[in-house]
Amino acid sequence: MSEFNPRENYFALLAVPQSYEVNQADLSRRYRELQREAHPDRFAGASERERLRAVQYSSQINEAYETLVSPTRRAAYLLKLAGVDSDMSSTTFRDPEFLMQQIQLREELSELQSASDPEAALDAFYRDLDAAADQQKSIFSASYLEQQFDESLASYAKLQFLEKLRSEAELKESELLDY
Amino acid sequence: MLMQISEPGQTPEPHQRKLAVGIDLGTTNSLVATVRNGSAQTLADIDGAHLLPSVVLYGEEASIEVGEKALAGASSDPVNTLMSIKRLMGRSFADVTDVTGVKLSPYELLDLGQDMVKIRTRAGDVSPVQVSAEILKSLGQRAEETLGGELTGVVITVPAYFDDAQRQATKDAARIAGLNVLRLLNEPTAAAVAYGLDQQDEVAVAVFDLGGGTFDVSVLQLTKGVFEVLATGGDSALGGDDFDHALAQWFVAEHKLDSLDVFQQRSLLTAARQAKEQLSSANEVELALADISSTLSRQQFNDLVDPLIDKAIRACKRAVRDAKLRSGDIHNVVMVGGSTRVPRVRERVAEWFGREPLIDLDPDKVVALGAALQADQLVGNRSGDEMLLLDVIPLSLGIETMGGLTEKIIHRNTTIPVAMAQEFTTFKDGQTAMAIHVVQGERELIDDCRSLARFELQGIPPMVAGAARIKVMFQVDADGLLRVSAREESTGSESRIEVKPAYGLSDTDIADMLQQSWASAADDKEARALREQQIEAEGLLQALSAALLKDGEAMLSEDEQRELLAKMEVLHREREQGSVASIAKHIEIVGKASEVFAERRMDASINQALAGRRVDEI
Repeated sequence: MSEFNPRENYFALLAVPQSYEVNQADLSRRYRELQREAHPDRFAGASERERLRAVQYSSQINEAYETLVSPTRRAAYLLKLAGVDSDMSSTTFRDPEFLMQQIQLREELSELQSASDPEAALDAFYRDLDAAADQQKSIFSASYLEQQFDESLASYAKLQFLEKLRSEAELKESELLDY
Repeated sequence: MLMQISEPGQTPEPHQRKLAVGIDLGTTNSLVATVRNGSAQTLADIDGAHLLPSVVLYGEEASIEVGEKALAGASSDPVNTLMSIKRLMGRSFADVTDVTGVKLSPYELLDLGQDMVKIRTRAGDVSPVQVSAEILKSLGQRAEETLGGELTGVVITVPAYFDDAQRQATKDAARIAGLNVLRLLNEPTAAAVAYGLDQQDEVAVAVFDLGGGTFDVSVLQLTKGVFEVLATGGDSALGGDDFDHALAQWFVAEHKLDSLDVFQQRSLLTAARQAKEQLSSANEVELALADISSTLSRQQFNDLVDPLIDKAIRACKRAVRDAKLRSGDIHNVVMVGGSTRVPRVRERVAEWFGREPLIDLDPDKVVALGAALQADQLVGNRSGDEMLLLDVIPLSLGIETMGGLTEKIIHRNTTIPVAMAQEFTTFKDGQTAMAIHVVQGERELIDDCRSLARFELQGIPPMVAGAARIKVMFQVDADGLLRVSAREESTGSESRIEVKPAYGLSDTDIADMLQQSWASAADDKEARALREQQIEAEGLLQALSAALLKDGEAMLSEDEQRELLAKMEVLHREREQGSVASIAKHIEIVGKASEVFAERRMDASINQALAGRRVDEI
């Protein structure tokens, strides 16, 4: 078995198979095991240097975990491992269906403010976003498995768009509901 | 002790229980707790009172009163009696004048622009950090007197929602109070720890913490001793004090009172608070100021506070959503903070989560109890069933980009510690400096976020525009505190920057405050500094001795061992005879010499644990 090396492949570090489909339970279990050993709290009485190292290790484990737990970041990471440049600027869209969906979602977002029940409208919007994202996730998963990386890249780009819409909605939510 | 190292056959010193406490530094009341005979308990003062009112009175003849005695001054000397000071921690004047409550506060706040607000008292202008230090000092003394010894370390709780400036201010206060902070722990996490809800398998828990001045809600996942914060939210300016103010404002409007002096304001707020408390059991109360009075029903009270509770419920909704859960997934709701005694609050929480909240532990004490359990573990008194607390950063960290926009570097609800690197480049030929502005907050416009720090990267080697590669590292530690370092990658020149929050204190400020806090015992100062260095040397030597005994042979060559031991011997001698400066110097030398050893041990300990697991699995 390999030695612990926080810089190694995140899938190896977290001991899950390298694919888009990940077993969340396995991922979390291994994550907690790693943190149990590396978290700075374990070194509260240790020397400054050991504490510093613990902070670095623990950060790297968090980074690995958060990358694999997030559907979008996991996709980007897999693309990177496959040597595919996932930089958005190089991606163009030639998918009328997705463009239509985008336009609809954008409209829905801009109408939130004037909705009679903005909270309910927001809930509905998040549901629509989730559905759209689920669709792209299954496309990514299947295409990545078959090494159709162009297709994976396109679905990743779409996931990013949907994520951006989500954060815009969250901002709107803060403004609308006065957090 | 050092002799034992060279004779590995001997056993290390018998395990000694160290004194450690948890401190809940609250807006209205503060508490100190410790673990005794296996259970966490709060410590009382000599009069038997557990709660220390978070009040400091700067009295005549340079006297400083804390707690009950200070509270007595609230109506007779409101200008010098500082209350709800937690709301001012790490805040500028502009921040706090927006906050309800402080607007009504009777003391004189000084507008220091970007800097943390100060309060004008007869003892001079004091920082909220100094005021908090007085409260911490009082609790530290209480603990040392009760437990009969010096404290090894403390865990201090902060609202999960506290930003970098507020956390830093809290840590600075502890430093001024002479306490060794093991960890800043989020209040909701502490509450979950106190309830010991970790015994169960994978459950989601919400902690609803409505204190005097702050509201926090956190959603945690608990799995066999691991407390993982999934999301946190809240409002750092919402609390039971606002209920009092709502009542006071209602009263003022009812009777068209327009100019109340500070004494009347204080009396009215006190009456409002009493009315609120009585309404927890009574259906109707009398609210009176001198000869003016009104009757207030519980229904009226509910209507007045409902808009405030609405805010809290919305924050719950968002936290649950951020945790990617639904309200029905929440297995338990833990109630924290005195304001959760208000029946209307309990009703609304039960209604939204669809289950009755847990109220078994005293909502005023639960946070301190949890902090005590964590402190006990951190000093090494507890072994075996170790718990692990994984907190998150409550607000996103970002930097200013062109056009006054924010670019997020670390998103809110990211588990800490966390490190992120961002690359920058120069935009002019021969550019040797670059300004970086770090902010905290969720909004897109820089002006809507809290400014944490501005610093300049200097000494960039002159190159053509776009050729320099400046890597800026943002590191947030387990306390939620940010550190930034920068490095020019193409030439490898490194500049370390210590980021102090814009509203924070410089080291000189702190040194001055330390001086002030020692002013009454000037002779103590040198002795105390020496004592601190001795304790630090002792701690380092002990930790290293134990480590060497265990792993020295396996991980270090004979030469390496000999070299390290020689340096430890010197430190050991210095500790007994040396000056503050020479001990500090040798602590540094030994620290540096043990660096390689420390790293090898860390690597090995993690690998060992993982290897063990793999064997189990087979």
